[in-house]
Amino acid sequence: MRVADLLDRVLGVLLSSARGPSAADLFRRADRLRREGRHDEAVALVEDGLQRSPRSAAGHLLAGYLHLASRRIDRARDAFQSVLALDQDHPRALLGLARIAIESGDADAARPYLERALRYHADFPEARALEEMIASWTPRQIEPSRTAAAEHGLRLPPGARDPILARLDGGIVFSECDATREAAVAQHLVQIARIAGATLSRAGLGSLRRGAIEAARESTYLQADVGLVLAVTLPSGTAVGDGMAEVGRLWAERAQPVPGADG
Amino acid sequence: MADQAAPLEQSGAGSRVGAVPAVSRAQQFRDILGDLGRLAGVRGGLIVTPDGLLVTADLPPRISGDALAALAATLGRELEVGMEQLARGAFRSAFFSADDGAVFVGGSPIGFVIVLADTAAEPAAVTPALRQALDRLQTIWT
Repeated sequence: MRVADLLDRVLGVLLSSARGPSAADLFRRADRLRREGRHDEAVALVEDGLQRSPRSAAGHLLAGYLHLASRRIDRARDAFQSVLALDQDHPRALLGLARIAIESGDADAARPYLERALRYHADFPEARALEEMIASWTPRQIEPSRTAAAEHGLRLPPGARDPILARLDGGIVFSECDATREAAVAQHLVQIARIAGATLSRAGLGSLRRGAIEAARESTYLQADVGLVLAVTLPSGTAVGDGMAEVGRLWAERAQPVPGADG
Repeated sequence: MADQAAPLEQSGAGSRVGAVPAVSRAQQFRDILGDLGRLAGVRGGLIVTPDGLLVTADLPPRISGDALAALAATLGRELEVGMEQLARGAFRSAFFSADDGAVFVGGSPIGFVIVLADTAAEPAAVTPALRQALDRLQTIWT
């Protein structure tokens, strides 16, 4: 090595040291912190790194992950879009945007992201799992399709609310939900049934039959079969056995076969 | 493809000076799943963050951890967001049963603990153990 080259290299190291760590170093450290769950510290490093290297796809991708982990969905979306602006087929940015679309109930928006992610990276199990999940979903039905059964009132225990029977295409068979929340209740129930069904199937356990969801104030009990899902919500503290018995009783009363309910 | 979901113990985590060593922390995550795995009927489980990062998994060999983590994170987020939107309070836990077993999901600020079980598992036994696991996870993580 010539003396001039050697001096050049030493000078480069000294200047680099004076400037502090490189953006790549910061992103590596941020990724380690992310894997330890130290998200705030990781975000600070990523922001620092992106100031030094604003066109780093890796930096924007990390920012997307960190915002998603912290439930800052809009910022996560922006970060993943920034990755795509730099690398239009980045598979993990596409997966991130697909996740956000599914979370917002828009499978149609998720589908092209997943297709693009899998086009160049066919061996991508996360994208494949989500793509297969939404491929089985039938298009959302806009108009509710009530049956005559909806005209009869239900006998419900005290504190029960949001009884609803829906098809997995989103059509409502019957409901005694408040009209202002009926659509949201139906959409959530159908999404849960679809995603839980896909998870059970992926685990080799079969098709969704029953479920219970406990939240701080209320618990929801559900039963499903042949393209239908029925749910009722009871106050927190209800014994699981009682909740399951209640949804079973409603199922026996109301979930009769419905034409075209196999989606 | 660069895998963002590498197990924690392979990712160089825990390089913080003065902190609990990485191996110890990774071992604690495995211990959480190990303890759940001792319950009757439990076949395995995993811990995943909301962005789909697979923290650790102990699954039957034929099941892809990455694929299941993607679905589990999606399910966990739908449960969180749905409970919030419908004013039912913060999501705590859920189980979904099928002909050959059940999936249990526990939610926390850190992410989700997922337990796979066969038909011998009793929700009355698994759900409280899952809640304890979530408490331990929170203690380790923070």
